[in-house]
Amino acid sequence: MFAGLGVSSFLAWKSIRRGNKGTLALTIMIIALIFVNLVFLPSIISGVVVTFDAQSIDFDVGNLVIEPREGSRYIDGVDGLQKKLEQIPGITGTSPRIAAGVTYFYRGRNAASTLYGINPEDERSVTRIADHMIAGEFLSNGDTDAIIIGTILAGTEGVAEGGLPSLEGVGVGDSVDVAYPNGATRTYRVKGIFETQSFGVDTAAFVTTREMSQVLGLDDQASAILVKTAVNGREEEYKTEILSYGVQEDVLTFREKSGGFVEQAIQSFNIINAISTLVSLIIAIVVVFIVIFINTVNRRRQIGILKAIGIDQQIIINSYVLQVLFITAIGALVGIVLNAGVTAYLTAYPLVFPGGPVYPEVEASAILRSIASLFGVSVVAGYIPAWRIAREDILTAIRG
Amino acid sequence: MIVAENLTRVYTMGKVEVRALAGVSLEVAKGEFVGIMGASGSGKSTLLHILGLLDRPTSGSVTIDGTDVLALSDRQRTLFRLNRLGYVFQDYALIGELTALENVYLTSLVRGASKEEYIERSADILRRVGLGDRMDHRQSELSGGEQQRVAIARALVNNPSILLADEPCANLDSQTSRSILDLFARLNEELDQTIVMVSHEDWHKEYFCRIVTLRDGMIGDMVECQKEPHPG
Ligand SMILES: Nc1ncnc2c1ncn2[C@@H]1O[C@H](COP(=O)(O)OP(=O)(O)OP(=O)(O)O)[C@@H](O)[C@H]1O
Ligand SMILES: [Mg+2]
Repeated sequence: MFAGLGVSSFLAWKSIRRGNKGTLALTIMIIALIFVNLVFLPSIISGVVVTFDAQSIDFDVGNLVIEPREGSRYIDGVDGLQKKLEQIPGITGTSPRIAAGVTYFYRGRNAASTLYGINPEDERSVTRIADHMIAGEFLSNGDTDAIIIGTILAGTEGVAEGGLPSLEGVGVGDSVDVAYPNGATRTYRVKGIFETQSFGVDTAAFVTTREMSQVLGLDDQASAILVKTAVNGREEEYKTEILSYGVQEDVLTFREKSGGFVEQAIQSFNIINAISTLVSLIIAIVVVFIVIFINTVNRRRQIGILKAIGIDQQIIINSYVLQVLFITAIGALVGIVLNAGVTAYLTAYPLVFPGGPVYPEVEASAILRSIASLFGVSVVAGYIPAWRIAREDILTAIRG
Repeated sequence: MIVAENLTRVYTMGKVEVRALAGVSLEVAKGEFVGIMGASGSGKSTLLHILGLLDRPTSGSVTIDGTDVLALSDRQRTLFRLNRLGYVFQDYALIGELTALENVYLTSLVRGASKEEYIERSADILRRVGLGDRMDHRQSELSGGEQQRVAIARALVNNPSILLADEPCANLDSQTSRSILDLFARLNEELDQTIVMVSHEDWHKEYFCRIVTLRDGMIGDMVECQKEPHPG
């Protein structure tokens, strides 16, 4: 058995070393490209997920959101709850927000969207909106007549944002009227404009909690409390932890909060990916099959001779399978290098998606899966033609 | 020792039946040098293929060194060829990707010999057939006679019980043919090597111990040992 493998690898190696270099290089290249194709799309999909997640966490909802119990509009006793939450190890920030659907008016134009009331210092401890001001400044705790506006809502002079709420050209220093749902109307001076590249955030605006509580007549109440954790990706554990501290309100992870939108997108992407993977693997099967088929047909005579001088057909078949393994291994290696090149390029010049720039996220599991499927596919595609020729009648084979 | 009884081999091509062998019985004793002769199409190669376990007869029996080789499975026949037989093809049949030395030691590799042992043996045999300085050449770098001598060395490397050669000199000039036949004669005499060789050249007869002449798939003539003490 092992002597047989030795002979198989001897024959395989001589064949690779002394066979046609051009065909060998071409086959390796095709395998490499198939490998890149197998790894590339999943890496973009992972990148999209990472970008969506980062956007949600950094600008929209933090890692976790605490919401009022079923049937209540507001969380009561926000101060106390905030203190309680901040005792939990690993929670690095909390930001209570009041939300209201309002209408903005500016120079005869109006737009309906969400207005949030925030404590600027608390908000800085959770989201990174303050770092993404493209004009003016972020809110300060004492502000009462100031508003900051998302770049889509602020808009551009003369450009209708295709159905999105837009005031078409609000700038820093302008005055905007806001009509609250309770009928109250206030005029605010625009203190800053931010751009986060998340639609939900860039179409909204912020004033201070102090101002909004006063308008809506709230006291120590909030529509939601955003929670920031020290590390991303462990939201489920923190959720359990928070609930174990006796928090009575609803606790949602950012994924749950995004309401299946990302899940749906991922599902659609995965279908596309499955199709692309299938096509790539079929191409791999066909290519390897053709290469080994031509190789074995060209060597029918040689295979016949080997059998005639007493070499078991399994040894002959194995020598072709070993050649395929070698070609696939080198092909995968070249593929890894090519893929690293593509990844480096797309990291320097990322693809821009609605959620922000997407960087390819090459996961080790995707690489391993691709290598494994490539090997599986090529062994089968190499074995079949080798087996077909090797079991041919000796004299038929030798006559060529 | 080969005992073949009443061998027939019928090729069916559509509705036409070709009787390549029509009942051949033959015994070859240990140490004999048998020549099989006859006109083209008389069934010489067909007979040698059957004796070399490369083909199965339509009917009849073949026993080699007491083994009923027709009862063996394909895998056992492969092993039998590996361990007991050496076959020299008319057109050399070397593996082009291997050097002369590698061609010769390939079957020893399969038999699991140690590296030192098979390199030593193969080099030794190549020297004996006069190719001591051609061991690292590949097929494309060897002349016809040299290729045939590599093929002979390959057939001999495992000390086969029987050496079968199908027109080993067909593609060679008479000078080279003579050197190959001298080699066979020497092996036969010095090592008592059993040899069955197909030929259609009359002048080869002087080398053979016994001559079997086939005619239309049957033995037409059998000449018992008539070899001169020192041929050539
Ligand atoms: N595979 C085959 N299919 C059909 N007929 C065959 C086949 N092989 C051989 N024959 C026929 O069998 C007969 C004997 O062929 P064989 O090759 O044994 O002749 P031979 O004596 O070796 O001739 P040569 O001296 O030309 O080599 C011929 O008539 C040939 O046409
Ligand atoms: Mg013939």
